Amino acid sequence: MNPALLSLLSMIAPGFQPGFDDLQEKAVKAAIQLVSPSVVQIETSGGTEVISGPARPGRPGPSAGGGVRKGTGPTTGVVVAADGYVVSSAFNFANKPASIIVSTQGGKRHVARVVATDQSRMITLLKIDAVGLPVPEVLPLAAMQIGQTTLALGRTLAGTPDASPSVSVGILSATGRVWGRAIQTDAKVSPVNYGGPLIDLNGRVLGILVPASPQADGETAGFEWYDSGIGFAIPLEQILSILPRLKQGKDLRRGLLGITLQPGDQFAIEPVVLSVAPNSAASSAGLRPGDKITAINGKAISSHAHLHLQLGPLYEGDGISLALLRGKDEVKIDKAVLTGSVSTPPPAFLGILPKRDDKEKGVAVRHVFPESAASRAGLKPGDRVLKAGLAADAAKAAPTVPIANRDGLAQLLVNANIGQFISVEVKRADGSTATLKGPLGPYNQTLPEKIEDKASLAKLDKEPEKKPETGILKKQTAAGDRAFWVSIPENYDPRVSHGVLIWLHPAGKGKDRDLEDLFGTWDLIAGETNLIVVAPRCDTELGWTPGEVDLITESFKFVTDAYNVDRRRVVAHGMGMGGQMAFYLAFQHRDMVRGVAAVGAGMAANPKERVNSQPLSFFLAVGDKDPLRESVADTAKKLGEFHFPLHFKEMKDRGHQYFDSQTFDQMAVWIDLLDRL
Amino acid sequence: MKTRMVWLAGVLLLAAGFSRADESFAKVAAEVNPKLVKVYGSGGFKGLPSYGTGVLVSPDGYILTVASHLLETPDLRVHLHDGSRWSAKLIAVEPELDAALIKIGTEKNKVEDLPFFDMAAAKAPLAQPGTGILAFSNQFHIATRDEPMSVMRGTIAAYARLHGRIGIFEAPYTGMVYVVDAITNNPGAAGGIVTNRKGEILGLIGKELRNEQTNTWINYAVPLGASLDIRLADGTTAKISLADLVEKKEKYKAVAKVGKGAGGGGYLGLLLVPNVVERTPPYIESVEPGSPAAKAGLQPDDLVVYVDGLPVVSIDMLWEMLGKYRPQDRVQLEIRRGDKLQTVSLTFEVPPRPVAPSPPPSPTALPKGNQP
Repeated sequence: MNPALLSLLSMIAPGFQPGFDDLQEKAVKAAIQLVSPSVVQIETSGGTEVISGPARPGRPGPSAGGGVRKGTGPTTGVVVAADGYVVSSAFNFANKPASIIVSTQGGKRHVARVVATDQSRMITLLKIDAVGLPVPEVLPLAAMQIGQTTLALGRTLAGTPDASPSVSVGILSATGRVWGRAIQTDAKVSPVNYGGPLIDLNGRVLGILVPASPQADGETAGFEWYDSGIGFAIPLEQILSILPRLKQGKDLRRGLLGITLQPGDQFAIEPVVLSVAPNSAASSAGLRPGDKITAINGKAISSHAHLHLQLGPLYEGDGISLALLRGKDEVKIDKAVLTGSVSTPPPAFLGILPKRDDKEKGVAVRHVFPESAASRAGLKPGDRVLKAGLAADAAKAAPTVPIANRDGLAQLLVNANIGQFISVEVKRADGSTATLKGPLGPYNQTLPEKIEDKASLAKLDKEPEKKPETGILKKQTAAGDRAFWVSIPENYDPRVSHGVLIWLHPAGKGKDRDLEDLFGTWDLIAGETNLIVVAPRCDTELGWTPGEVDLITESFKFVTDAYNVDRRRVVAHGMGMGGQMAFYLAFQHRDMVRGVAAVGAGMAANPKERVNSQPLSFFLAVGDKDPLRESVADTAKKLGEFHFPLHFKEMKDRGHQYFDSQTFDQMAVWIDLLDRL
Repeated sequence: MKTRMVWLAGVLLLAAGFSRADESFAKVAAEVNPKLVKVYGSGGFKGLPSYGTGVLVSPDGYILTVASHLLETPDLRVHLHDGSRWSAKLIAVEPELDAALIKIGTEKNKVEDLPFFDMAAAKAPLAQPGTGILAFSNQFHIATRDEPMSVMRGTIAAYARLHGRIGIFEAPYTGMVYVVDAITNNPGAAGGIVTNRKGEILGLIGKELRNEQTNTWINYAVPLGASLDIRLADGTTAKISLADLVEKKEKYKAVAKVGKGAGGGGYLGLLLVPNVVERTPPYIESVEPGSPAAKAGLQPDDLVVYVDGLPVVSIDMLWEMLGKYRPQDRVQLEIRRGDKLQTVSLTFEVPPRPVAPSPPPSPTALPKGNQP
């Protein structure tokens, strides 16, 4: 017999006419009491600051702004097995804490360890050393009714694990959300209750509250919707079904088919395969570009959205059946086993550094990278590439086309693959011509010491007619509420294109003096390598929030409007939280940023896929004694898996510090090479 | 049996629903609205509103509201429920409770017999999470003159300590609040009230704050019974409360709190690992021989996880918490050693030598472990 119901019955006493609200209030309180013992409080210690997720429009007031900075308060979990298993939202561990402690009923504290995380549904399984924990009753998906009252419980607010959990009252708004993985409620869901249960009035658990977004993946995706009336929970029934797999200690990943689709309105267009990734489920099953997918697991598919909905709930290792239309033929595939990752092949690299500010036709070669396609084919500094073309292999003739300039050659190479043959016609320094050939290779990770040859071909014999302001300029945003600094080298000449280094200072290091010190450090290389430094100042001592991206883009726009900027050498550079902001900026504004140079900063979220037309390179450095060393090494590993051009350097005998002088010089060279082809 | 009970409950709910399916709060609103006022003062810059809400607490025109920028003007004005306009003066402010008392009416131009909320309600038992509530305020300045307040319906989400921030500054009030399951704390709502469904006052809606624990906006009301123990410079404590502020009126004197970290001369003999990142976990690097920490058996690599039951997430937070103690105070630390938790009790001593202020983390230099 359920106490919630008992209390309802006892309300119907003679002479008392309870209203609907009285009954509901009683039922709400009783349901909270029923589940409360299974709702645990989680406290974490240490870890990194997290910046992620799109900005949320700020409310008026002095602290407007938005986006994710994870708080420091306790979070919530739910017991799923009496012998010490607790599930929670992966959001609560996005900062990779050094220590996790779970407090159960009666205030007993236990050291917890992370067993595994479901990377698809963003649920984390914890284990504590305890027995006889109260396991709540589950409301299965089939029994859920849209419109039924739901309560979102959390343990962030109430100080002790014995106090009543916090409650937000709402209804079940929908099932089958976020591509079939979540249910939706209009109860207020936020970090106050992420990881807590969504329960019904009988004290049965529908699901575990999480931030979620149909558009994005990761621990913090969907956070921007907190308290909005759109809240998500992962059905507990589904979590219990994968519990045995999580208990084995291996993270679960979303199952991927490994195809891209012809673009268009995802709700209107039938899914036609555009490309098939190598070594993917799709390639093993024999899918081909042009195939139209008509059914998955016997369910008819007529739009991209249908396809996402069918694949969304599946994990790595799950098998599916497919029906395809190939031309006029119907093709059936009985089993394709989904993979957890799809490797995009590394980008192809010719191996030259062009001269800049080149007014003539073709591309003048400034530097040839050793062991590159260019070096093997015999290109030399001083050559001018006039024509180029690609062929699948050496046997086939490559039809060459005239190359107008650096961008023209970049365009030719944008979709080239490693192993393809390139053929170039060059005019040599002595006036002779040559046709050179060779297979394209991968990007060579070793940095040359210094490129001695002059970078710019701009003719500077006469003084420029007009020279804009140089030196350290302190500027205001158009709204007048925010400040940023710009450092223009004294030798600035408007005929020479300049790279831009956007410095994102660490938390609390945005004072005038801090920035002046650093401008002093950069002065020399900025003049030598034609670099403009931009330093926006973040709003608070606590560090950057995603909402401040607008300030950064505005300060960058000031520079591009007033100065000659080489868009291929724009670098987001930061340390600590500033470094995290640099990663965030780079992945949010891929049209703007070409490189990230981060010191002592790891990425909180997973990297996004490479975009060939918007290349992004990384220069990561960390002291070998920096507490964040592992997090940075992990970031380097992840970026490597996505085949981003990457330099990772551990600095000897250093803690959480800025570059040593050698690493600093290497960054300068790295920036100078960003417009390589 | 269970299925049948569910069915039965459904019927009962329905039956009850038929009698009063959608309860109207018209009567409650009609009773509460005349006790609320619209407050106009300074503001209108930097996104700060120049309007707010207040609640009458006496028949002769004393109004309780929040202590805010709004009151920093000689031209403070109030609109009563009947549309009449009054100039108001500031009577008393208690920053620790984030509350202020203002008054309309003068010797010449008296106000009397206004409807008001009796502060006796401060003694009512606390409302538990799940309790249905109504919120009344002039949020977003939707009403002027004789127009009624906005009424919202919601639930008490929690009764909890406020960890709020305005920008980077800690909110002045750090006592217990009702966290409300309704988006109540909007511009202009501060000084409005939360009542139960019968219209009995529960608390005063506070300013817009971000919750320090989650970095989200928080909706809350300061309970009418709010009181705080404030530590004074002479080492004694004083109790302050909203009820006291309203009772003493002109005679009320705000107490001067001891600044943060005062009494921080307490010495434990702990040396922590270098505090180099934004959230360095408080691992013990070494323990000074003969110190309270050594006597309690603390060891290098112990991680401090709770101070007197409150969780500690970083070295910065630990220093802040320990700064509140003085010599001879006792403190209970819970530490994590390997995978085991242990509780130890320590007594602060007089520091053996002057305490150097801890240097801030620097991007160019590795600070040494600092000393409490």
